[in-house]
Amino acid sequence: MIAEFTWLIPFIPMMCFLMIGIFGRKTPEKGGYIAIAGALLSFLIALAISIEYLGSDEFANGIAIESSIRWFEIGDYTLNLGYYVDGLTCVMMLFSSFISTLIFIYSIGYMHDQGERKNRYYAEVSLFLTGMLGLIVSSNFLELFIFWEVMGLCSYLLIGFWSFRHDNGDEASANAASAAKKAFLVTRMGDVCLMGGLFIFLNLFHSLDYSAMFESVEAVAAANPGLFTLALCLMFGGVIGKSAQFPLHDWLPDAMAGPTTVSSLIHAATMVKAGVYLVARGFPLYVQDVNVMLFVAIIGGITAFIAATMALNNMNIKKVLAYSTISQLGYMILSLGAGGYLWALGYEELGALGFFAGCFHMMNHAFFKALLFMGSGSVIHGCGTEDMRLMGGLFKKMKITATTMLFGCLAIAGIPIFSGFWSKDLVIDTAMNAFNNGADGAAIWFLILWLLAVITAFMTAFYMFRMWFMTFMGEPRENAQHCHGESPKTMTTPLIILAGFALVSGLFMFFGLTDMLAFEGEAIDGVEHGIELFTNPFTYMTIILAILGIGIAYMMYVKKTMDPGKFNKNGESWLYIALTKRWWFPDLYNQISWKLGYGVAKGVNYIDRQIVDGTVNGLSSAVVGGGDVMSKVQTGHVQDYSSVVLFGVSVLSVLILVTFALLGGF
Amino acid sequence: MAADIISSIFGDMTPLAAMIFLLIGALIMPAVQMFGKKHTVTWCVALLMVILSFVTDVILLTNDVEATYLGVKLNTYTTLMSMLFLIVLFLVVLVSNVSTETTKNHAGAYYALLFGATLGMLFVASSSSLLTIFVGVELTSISSYALVALKRKDGRASEAAVKYAIIGGMSTALTLYGISMIYGIAGSLEINDLANYVTFNDFTWMFGVGLICMIAGYGFKIAAVPFHMWAPDVYEGAATPVSMFLATGSKKMGLAVFIQVFMAMFIISATAGSIFGLTVQYIFAIIAAITMTVGNVVAIAQPNIKRMLAYSSIAQAGYILIILAVMTPQAEAAGIFHMFTHVFMKGGAFLIVGGLICAGIGEKISDYKGLAKRSPFLAAAMMLFLFSLAGIPPLAGFTSKFFLFASAVGTPGAADGTWIWLAFIAILNSAISLYYYARVVKAMYIEKGETTEKIKIPTIFTVAIVVCLVFVIVLGVYPDLIFGYCEQATEFLL
Repeated sequence: MIAEFTWLIPFIPMMCFLMIGIFGRKTPEKGGYIAIAGALLSFLIALAISIEYLGSDEFANGIAIESSIRWFEIGDYTLNLGYYVDGLTCVMMLFSSFISTLIFIYSIGYMHDQGERKNRYYAEVSLFLTGMLGLIVSSNFLELFIFWEVMGLCSYLLIGFWSFRHDNGDEASANAASAAKKAFLVTRMGDVCLMGGLFIFLNLFHSLDYSAMFESVEAVAAANPGLFTLALCLMFGGVIGKSAQFPLHDWLPDAMAGPTTVSSLIHAATMVKAGVYLVARGFPLYVQDVNVMLFVAIIGGITAFIAATMALNNMNIKKVLAYSTISQLGYMILSLGAGGYLWALGYEELGALGFFAGCFHMMNHAFFKALLFMGSGSVIHGCGTEDMRLMGGLFKKMKITATTMLFGCLAIAGIPIFSGFWSKDLVIDTAMNAFNNGADGAAIWFLILWLLAVITAFMTAFYMFRMWFMTFMGEPRENAQHCHGESPKTMTTPLIILAGFALVSGLFMFFGLTDMLAFEGEAIDGVEHGIELFTNPFTYMTIILAILGIGIAYMMYVKKTMDPGKFNKNGESWLYIALTKRWWFPDLYNQISWKLGYGVAKGVNYIDRQIVDGTVNGLSSAVVGGGDVMSKVQTGHVQDYSSVVLFGVSVLSVLILVTFALLGGF
Repeated sequence: MAADIISSIFGDMTPLAAMIFLLIGALIMPAVQMFGKKHTVTWCVALLMVILSFVTDVILLTNDVEATYLGVKLNTYTTLMSMLFLIVLFLVVLVSNVSTETTKNHAGAYYALLFGATLGMLFVASSSSLLTIFVGVELTSISSYALVALKRKDGRASEAAVKYAIIGGMSTALTLYGISMIYGIAGSLEINDLANYVTFNDFTWMFGVGLICMIAGYGFKIAAVPFHMWAPDVYEGAATPVSMFLATGSKKMGLAVFIQVFMAMFIISATAGSIFGLTVQYIFAIIAAITMTVGNVVAIAQPNIKRMLAYSSIAQAGYILIILAVMTPQAEAAGIFHMFTHVFMKGGAFLIVGGLICAGIGEKISDYKGLAKRSPFLAAAMMLFLFSLAGIPPLAGFTSKFFLFASAVGTPGAADGTWIWLAFIAILNSAISLYYYARVVKAMYIEKGETTEKIKIPTIFTVAIVVCLVFVIVLGVYPDLIFGYCEQATEFLL
């Protein structure tokens, strides 16, 4: 049984983290090779475990392999540590560790001239990988939460990695610092919700083990419908934070301030996928409540649409990819929500199809998004800027990067054969199914969501090709002229491998992936559904829309027969401004978090210190230097402190009587 | 084996064993200073007495010895709490000799006062009557006032000490007033009798006012809002090792009083669901919610790290007060465990602040800019302590908060789920707290300092910090190391 060694999967990167931290400085590339070896080893173990599990009787019967040891007990709650392997775990751990390995290899080239700081980089990415892999193999929600937080912590350090980049503390490093903090604090808002949800689940189930919870979920949900729904919503709050869903999506574009390798790690292989994974993992819980599933689907649809609009006019190559990440994550959440909705209504096959589509899109997205990010990293490496207005015509200088990125763009745009086509069309199909079969009243929502998803598909094709054309076609502009050619082999090889996956990973659904991503044993027929796509007129519609999007991008940015200035009134139309302002979300955040939060803190501090101190300022300035300890008080007046104490006693005395009366004591 | 040796030496007085070492220490320290030529000698003797007392206590704890001598009890609870106070004392004494803030000319008096204060704490933990608890608390308080004043050449310290003494005196008066009222009604000072009284008698307004006076008086010790205003001034003004002693030791004594007095008094009636008990639970729930919220919110606006830690410790007291609202043995165990983890994480943070002051770094958060470059170890340790305080897994602060909040969510009493709202306020507060902790981490790791010159702090500080760090990590992943004892200790509440 190799599965007994599942714990090694997160443990090996953890050891790498320690090794790199302790003596990584003395090794070549400051620990880079250790990180690669660790990630590769984790991948190989994950592969061996997957092969074994897929051939086992457990898999044939749809049972997970699980093993836990008792961690601690509080009262009658027992909390465990352990691993849980089923089809979903296998898929997740395979693509996470595989892509991470490629990203680490790529980092050797990309981070080459970072000197001593590489050591910190490789240590942190190893710990980051520990977080993700640990989260995937966890056997209960508490363990998942712990790794979830470990990842949050590392993302904070990694996004802020380049705050030291320029010695004179310029704007870029200031951005890195505030982006890191924003990512940390915003996702933390989600984490708080998740933790609250877990506490309620602990109260309801008296355990957080997947197996125990999934077994008794129907009875528990029926017994406490209110609390159960609340807990589900709170848990989804964690997903909104981590997977950058509306309205907490805004940290993700800022997080681009980190090194591009970190972006591809966070956005393709790990972190943001954790939120989607949480929904998929908790699917047996979610499907108990049809309204929560509708809510999930709506959030996903809105996110997909809003993020896509913001990508339309962005000039920063990484920001475009960041918005597309949010948008694609919205697709996954939409699919899981719509699928769960159908399942909750009793349409088990259609529900399982939605579940499959969401997870399938997560996997495909991991491949093509890692490819796109690393491709953009290669471009940035070559021309030293992220601004697409300074690029152009790079196709001649960077043939491999350009070609591989073209594969990525075709995949995300949903052109047939490429991976994104299969999963995205299944997602859109699921929204349509939910409309056709939904309950009155709710079904109309799915029509809107379907429409949003289709428009998003069109926008995706447009902005991705806008990016590709602006970067690789046309006349070389400023920085592109100084570009020193193709990136080193360590960087291009991962690109070529991932381009291969962007081409073929969609076809996995014809070769048994559907069995691995089956929900509660309800495996859909991949071949049948794959072929069915071509009998569905809507599929042709989305293909045409995608081609139309590409065509418009071509006309605007290559042929120049259409002038983008006409549409945005040369950057002065309100829509254009709204998009550059990101629909004012950052401003909103600032108002809430900074003005309100800090203002309240200041205000409370003021009351705490000043109001009660009364005339302190006048008094103290009168006796400064007098050395009179009794009255010279720079922070507070002792008499006033005493009055507060007495005031407190009076209030509490009244309060105890009132409380007693309210509780019916008199 | 070792326990037999202790009982053969101390005989009937075994319950006093750990205290006797402290008493001897307190008495001989001035003399040692007078005859010893070097401060280091005084320090070594002080350290020796702490270790003797600590070892005695740990032996008694691990052997589950139970005894009583003249009303002074010895059981798992008392030894566990004593161990907590002795750990604090050990850490404080350890760094006192090298800290540039503590006075060397009065080293004898300084150690004697520290021992006196800790003696009071141990006495409180072993008492079961309002009067003896009162005496113990006063012993600690009066020693602490003097300790705060003992700082080298700093006007702020004497000012803080005077403030502390005046407000302290007032709270003592309130406590005594409350005790006398309760004695007048219930006719006893023994907690057991009082617990019987509240179980079988109706609520009277006079008992209520007496209770509030006591809550206010002892609320001062734990800096519960609105009796907290002295804390930031005093923590800022005192020498950092003394601030640490107050924040981790003295405050825990106050919490021990809350457990031994209020929890012991009301746990029976609360479990039975009487309105009297429920009223008191609600009062504590309100105090807990306000305390943690005010502590966390005000901490955001603090530019001085010692003041920030002071407010954060007010907030931590608020978290622990949850157990008095929940009133279950499970909550009590969680509370005691949180006290332990708090000692290590808050103590560690104060140690770093103190160590950096020795190295000439200021107390402002802005002084910590670029610390990660100047001292990677200190920055990493500080980050772990702060994140542990914020409750980020897998550190000790997460585990203990998890226990605390879980106990609030699942009270297996008559009113299941009554306190979920309190747990939510607490979770929200943890999120707020992250904001100001992250500010320090940001200054250390992300912002750029004026210089990258390496920092060297005294080795002893590093040792003490490593001790705290080890426990912050170990208690996070292996809570059973202490949590088992915490659960055992709850059996001796009454």
